[in-house]
Amino acid sequence: MMDWAAESMAQVAATREARVGRPGPKIEGEEAERLLEEYHPDHSGKERSVGVGKNAGADRFPLELAALLEADSPVPENFEARVDLETDVLIIGGGGAGVSAALALQGSGLAVHLVTKLRLGDSNTVMAEGGIQAALGEGDSPRRHFADAFVGGHGDNDCGLLRILCESGPEAVGWLIGQGCLFDRNPDGTFRLRPGGGTSVPRVLACRDFTGLEIMRVLKEALRQSATAVLEEHAAVEFTDDGAGQVTGAVLWDRKSNALVTVSARALLLATGGSGQLRLQGFPTSNHIGATGDGLVLAYRQGCGILFPNSHQYHPSGGVFPEALAGSLVTEAIRSTGAQVVNREGHAFVNELAYRDVLAAAILREVSEGRGVRTPTGRKGVWLDTPLIEKTQGAGTLKSQFPGLVHRYARYGIDPAVCPLLIYPTLHYQNGGIAVDGWGKTEAPGLWAAGEVTGGLHGSNRLMGNSLLDITVFGRRAAASILKEISERKAVTLKGLTRYRAVLKTLPGFQAAEAGGKSAPGLFPEASRLKFHRAPGKLPPMAAGPEPQTPFEPPDPFARG
Amino acid sequence: MQSGTVRFKFSGEPIEARAGETLLGALWAAGRAEGLQAGCDGGVCGACTVTVRFDDGRPGGTDLACMRLVEAGMEVFPCPVEPVAAKAPACGPSPESLRAAYPTLDRCTQCRSCTTACPMDIPVMDSVLRMQRGEWQAVAEDFTTCIHCGLCRLVCEDKVQPHNMGLWVRRSMALAEETVPAAPDPGAGEWAWLLDGDREERLRRATEFRRDGKVPA
Repeated sequence: MMDWAAESMAQVAATREARVGRPGPKIEGEEAERLLEEYHPDHSGKERSVGVGKNAGADRFPLELAALLEADSPVPENFEARVDLETDVLIIGGGGAGVSAALALQGSGLAVHLVTKLRLGDSNTVMAEGGIQAALGEGDSPRRHFADAFVGGHGDNDCGLLRILCESGPEAVGWLIGQGCLFDRNPDGTFRLRPGGGTSVPRVLACRDFTGLEIMRVLKEALRQSATAVLEEHAAVEFTDDGAGQVTGAVLWDRKSNALVTVSARALLLATGGSGQLRLQGFPTSNHIGATGDGLVLAYRQGCGILFPNSHQYHPSGGVFPEALAGSLVTEAIRSTGAQVVNREGHAFVNELAYRDVLAAAILREVSEGRGVRTPTGRKGVWLDTPLIEKTQGAGTLKSQFPGLVHRYARYGIDPAVCPLLIYPTLHYQNGGIAVDGWGKTEAPGLWAAGEVTGGLHGSNRLMGNSLLDITVFGRRAAASILKEISERKAVTLKGLTRYRAVLKTLPGFQAAEAGGKSAPGLFPEASRLKFHRAPGKLPPMAAGPEPQTPFEPPDPFARG
Repeated sequence: MQSGTVRFKFSGEPIEARAGETLLGALWAAGRAEGLQAGCDGGVCGACTVTVRFDDGRPGGTDLACMRLVEAGMEVFPCPVEPVAAKAPACGPSPESLRAAYPTLDRCTQCRSCTTACPMDIPVMDSVLRMQRGEWQAVAEDFTTCIHCGLCRLVCEDKVQPHNMGLWVRRSMALAEETVPAAPDPGAGEWAWLLDGDREERLRRATEFRRDGKVPA
């Protein structure tokens, strides 16, 4: 196993003893800014402005996202929005934010429908590993939490949102426990708190390396006890409006029966998560298969603005080998526990607990300057020295604290207790998103948003453990706001879409979906070749889309010849 | 080691895949994604459950298509598992409350199918026996890594619902735990200091505040 890297692995092992207690050098201040400028993918210039919507002409978007915003709706031009289903609150998205909101609406007397493109809980939440931040430790406070996240976010954070997040941390953890979440504890019963990249004190609570799974399985089970109606495999493909700018419902694509379903709602909560499956600039992703930026497209068509559209988080430790785990997350908590990031020569070139963007950029620099390791399939990476943990924290630490990681790699014959892991940045999180206020209200009346689909809270770089807190806090705040401000039922039209389409048709190169042009939201990863069937009922459900037009992951390790 | 072409069958249809690919990756590449539900493609959501068997007598079983590599001669079928109704947890598990929620607990005939079916290598049957004995701490530990794919329940001929019980025990334990004290946290002065000034000034102040969590003297 991994004979091709034997020489480099020997160097990592040879330098291990000397590296104990000596983390790599800190990269801070202007040096960090220069590094980001030169190596972080956000600064690669692979972006452009868009010609339609609230941000038209003003902001730069990644090329992949710009193409979606300028693509046609999959809803046929002659489609009439006749209401099939009436509800009070329509929640779109079955991850942590949507389910938290649904739970907070229990007992309100409102009819709540939660719809999700995949199954309930299939989301980025379930894949989160390392933990959730809350200011519960010695010497900690919500202010300190704020200061850490604000510096990490380069001061781009919305201070109001961030203050709410940090002040709500302890209560949110209490709420999760009340739903049935078990967090790791010390022998004395206090929470076991780990540091994370950029935390100035240990602040991250965890359930081993399955924190998101623990939260999601518990919230999912709690939701199944509630009266919330759940529609799985229903993808939102368009919002409806009242003709005067208020969002009043949605058009859903029922994947099983291949039909379009029009829903009328008095309030809508957008909780569709992120966009890692756009695989910006060809990076692999740690995201679930539904993370295709659908919510950005839907809300943008209703006049909502997108904050920091060109800011994405490339998680420093994405898997590289074996091929089956390329892009998959290796939790940051493993670095909090002492695993160092080292190059081909076994040199720790950067502090392993640097902010994520800085660490990712440092890894990209190391690899581009030839100090990385190349796999037989052509991927490159640097080492995450996991055996160091066994040395400093005691044998068996990995197995007891990171059972997920150990199990995942054991399938392929790799034991992280013995063998360091290759890592390379993986597209992990959408820092920017739909603009919201402290109650999740978007710029479009009738539409709230929560979780990864929103922007502003995390500035231009998110800290570990702040996304699980984000969904728990802001999902429930949106629900509270909806309870207070829910409107009367209004007309369901597609006038907003018609207006947006009129602008689209003026863009050079635009092609209507019905004439074979691209449609958005994308719904599925390009690599899956799954497509929205444009003419419901006309195509057999087994039909696959065309071969992907663009390579989705360079280098394509399986490319022939 | 990872080169060449592998032929396997999915739902009876032959598929050609590249060695080193996962079953899910191979189905996507072959344009057969519609044939198998998927969720996370990371081994934690439990959507892509399949049965695997071999035509040459090698042992088959159940697995996750997003984690299992293609092998020559494999015959793969989708094996979706529907969820069952959730049961309200108790405040602290007890033998009575668990049996009230899951009356089939004691029907286990110790056939070990559940343990064999688990893609996370949880000792499911042993844990069911631990539930019968009320060893809650150990049960909670066993199900720490459970992704709730439902395969253990699906294969149980005695209608025992191991993973549902595992989650029920964990939730019931959480409800009995000491929760987070609502400590008074005024801090108004610190907030005023942190939020004063423009972005550059706030960044400077936040950087200083991170040193010891206080407004510098």
